[in-house]
This record gives sequence, C-alpha cells and structure tokens, in this order.
Amino acid sequence: MIERSPGRDPETSEADLSAAARTPTDEAALAARLERLGGTLEARRAAEEAENAKARPAGFAQATKIASEFVAGVIVGGGLGWVIDRALGTTPWALIVFVLLGFAAGVLNVLRAEGVVAGAGTRLREAGKNSGSASGRSDEGPGPTA
Amino acid sequence: MDPQAAKYLGAGIATLGMAGAGIGLGTIFGNYLAGALRNPAAADGQFGRLIFGFAVTEALGIFSLLVALILLFA
Amino acid sequence: MAADKVDPIHQFQITKILPIQVGHWDVSFTNSSLFMAVVVILATGFLVMASSSRAMVPSRWQVVAEMAYSFVADTLRDAAGKAGMQFFPLVFSLFMFVLVANLIGLVPYFFTVTSHIIVTFSLAILVIGIVIGFGIWKHGFHFFNLFVPKGVPAALIPLVTLIEIISFLSRPISLSVRLFANMLAGHITLKVFAGFVVTLSAAGAVGTVGSILPLAMAVALTALEFLVAFLQAYVFTVLTCMYLNDAIHPGH
Repeated sequence: MIERSPGRDPETSEADLSAAARTPTDEAALAARLERLGGTLEARRAAEEAENAKARPAGFAQATKIASEFVAGVIVGGGLGWVIDRALGTTPWALIVFVLLGFAAGVLNVLRAEGVVAGAGTRLREAGKNSGSASGRSDEGPGPTA
Repeated sequence: MDPQAAKYLGAGIATLGMAGAGIGLGTIFGNYLAGALRNPAAADGQFGRLIFGFAVTEALGIFSLLVALILLFA
Repeated sequence: MAADKVDPIHQFQITKILPIQVGHWDVSFTNSSLFMAVVVILATGFLVMASSSRAMVPSRWQVVAEMAYSFVADTLRDAAGKAGMQFFPLVFSLFMFVLVANLIGLVPYFFTVTSHIIVTFSLAILVIGIVIGFGIWKHGFHFFNLFVPKGVPAALIPLVTLIEIISFLSRPISLSVRLFANMLAGHITLKVFAGFVVTLSAAGAVGTVGSILPLAMAVALTALEFLVAFLQAYVFTVLTCMYLNDAIHPGH
C-alpha cells in the first residue's frame, strides 16, 4: 500500500546519466536514452496515480473489513462461550475463556486479512502455488482485474 | 433498587472501560500514521509492532467488555 | 411531521405485502421478498437475453454478460485453482445476486435487499455450509487438518486449534457484516444528505440556494455508491472463492 518506488527513480536516472557521461560524444544515443527514461518515468507516474486513485475509495471498504474481522472473532467467541455455559452449566467460566480466545482469533483474522500471517500451516504453500495473488490479502482495493 | 436493573446499570457502566481502549487505540494508530508520514519507507516494517500494540491495548478493553457480558448473561 | 419524511432509517422498513401464516411461522411476502424476486428475475432475464443470440460478433449486452462471466471465472480460478471451477455456478449466482441487489437498491424508492443483515448472513451461511459439507464429503476427517497448523509446539496445539476454529466460525459473520455495513452506511449517508436538501429548500429562497451544496454531495455520493456496490459484490465473491479453496485443498 505504501510507496516503495520513489527510492528507485533517482537511482536509475543517475545510473543512466553516468553511463551516458562515459560516452559523451554520442549525442543521439543520449537524447534517445533521455527520451526513453522520460517515457518510463511518465508511465510509472501514471501507473502510480492510477494506483492511488484506486486506493482512495477502497479505504472505507478496508476499514470495515478489518473492523468486521476483529469484531466477528470476539462475537463468535462470546457466543460459543455462552452456548457452552448454557449447555454445561459452567457459568461464567466458558464465557470468560471463549471471549479471550475469540479476541485472539479476531487478532489472527486481522493479521490474516492484512496478509501479515499466512493461512494455517501448509495453506501458506498452497496459496503461494496458486499464482500467489490469492493468499491472505483478500480485497484490498478493486484488485488486479478492476 | 431492582437487582435486575442494577445488573443492567452495572453492565452499562462496565462498557465505559472500552472508552479507555478507544483512546489508547487512537494514540497508537495516530502515532503510527504520524511516523509513517515522516518515514514512509519504515512504515511497512513496523506493521507487526502496530498490531502488537493494538492487540495489547484492545485486550484491556476486552476485559471490560467481558465484565459487561458476565453481568448480562452469566 | 417533516421529521418522518426525512427519516434516514425509514427506507429499510420491511412491510408485508401479502400476509401468509403457516403454523406459527410468519412467512409473509414482504417488500424484501418482492425485491429479491425482482433481483433474480432481472439477473436471469439479463443473462438469458444477452446470451440468447450467441453471436460471433457479440452485441453490447452480450459483451457485458461475457465480461461478468470471465471476471468471475478468473477470480475463481485464481483463488481456488482448476478444481474450483466446479463451484462456478454457485459463485456466479452469488456474484450476480449481490451485484444486482446492490445496484437496484440505488434506484430511488427501491428496497436494498443486501442492507439487511439476515439476508447477507444467509448468503454467508450458505457459503460456509457448502465449504464444510464439501470439505467433509471430499476429504473426510482429513478436512479438520485445516484447524491444526503445522510447526506449532505440541503443548500449544489445543489452544491454537481452538483459536483456529473460532477464526473459521467467525468468517460468515465478518463476510456478512461487511456487505451489510457498507450498504447500510452508504444508503443512510445518501438519505441524510438528500434530507438536507428537502429541509433546506423548505426554508425559503436562501435555503434553496444553500441546498445546492448537499445536492452536489448527494450526486457525488451516488457515484461513490455505485463503486461500493461493485466493490462489495466483488469482495463477497473473492472471499467465497478463498473459502471454497479451503474446502478443496485443506492443507495436505
């Protein structure tokens, strides 16, 4: 989400310039190279702008995503605990334990939704095999197809 | 006072503890954002710590939610 | 009296069109049912009409239908692999239903089916039920390996498994809450701004001029809502595909 390209642009242009300085007589090649560089920079900037424009309206969607992932974990934990309490008559212990477990599950959900932690165990490998795009990060932005 | 009413009042008051967690989360994410705007390159690397801080802070909020739930349902 | 006219929640009210009572269950035909039927008829009608000609050089309608088809097919294939394509009818139906329901809800005075959590929750339960059912049918007991992560110390396995199970069970909730919350919030915001226009323009000439601002806002929000409608239908589809992937390949 956060830019990583700006660091690269000056580098490439510098390398290009120093390479050009080694053959100062070849004016045409330099001009062509500059033009090409300008073209790439332009394309990259356009791509970046499109990326940013795409990211903005998706911000609310991402916020609801993370909040709902977290809250869902806690709700399910609390619900499970309550049902177990009703069934076994262990009030309030199952509720306490399961709300805390649900909290852990909620944090796990958030981490998974953000793609920091991969799916359980071998699902990491599995997701990597399937073109890698479909792993933990589910819906940040309209995706590659939109 | 009717004990049932006292229970509900207590549950309502207990959820006020979530406000503290809310303040804490605001501080954490606000500072993360401020840091990320100063040094965007370092932001990705600190995401794990952000979530760690979020989890610890929110855990304390969850305790107050738990007290409220126990008052209501247990 | 003006208050109930601009009440932003009023649009979500369910009214009975045809009261039916079976035993002690209320199975009345409501405006929600009506719009669900409209959504199904519209989606089916559109696809049948668009694909009826099957021209080599497609008409515009056919292009749209083909785009929807290949869009969902690509999403499913990316997330669940070749084996996932057996679920294509389900995923495509879900996508079309959610998308058309979201879009229809944007027409003024129309009911938004997906802004009720019970509808989105039923859809999510359907998906999770199929994931569990298919997973157990296909892999038997092996399916439960999904909940036991590898490389965890033996002492922690019960705890982590419990957390994984809760995390799995929370999926239908987060799936449904996300769709529902987005649609609900969008429609309430839209209605609030539209309400400003009504209230302001009732307050004389100055108010009428001033109401241009919220009107512009409402127009902009409508455009945003179209985007959200597409985005949430897409998100619902992607997550469905990912959950189906768990059923097809539950960690070997």
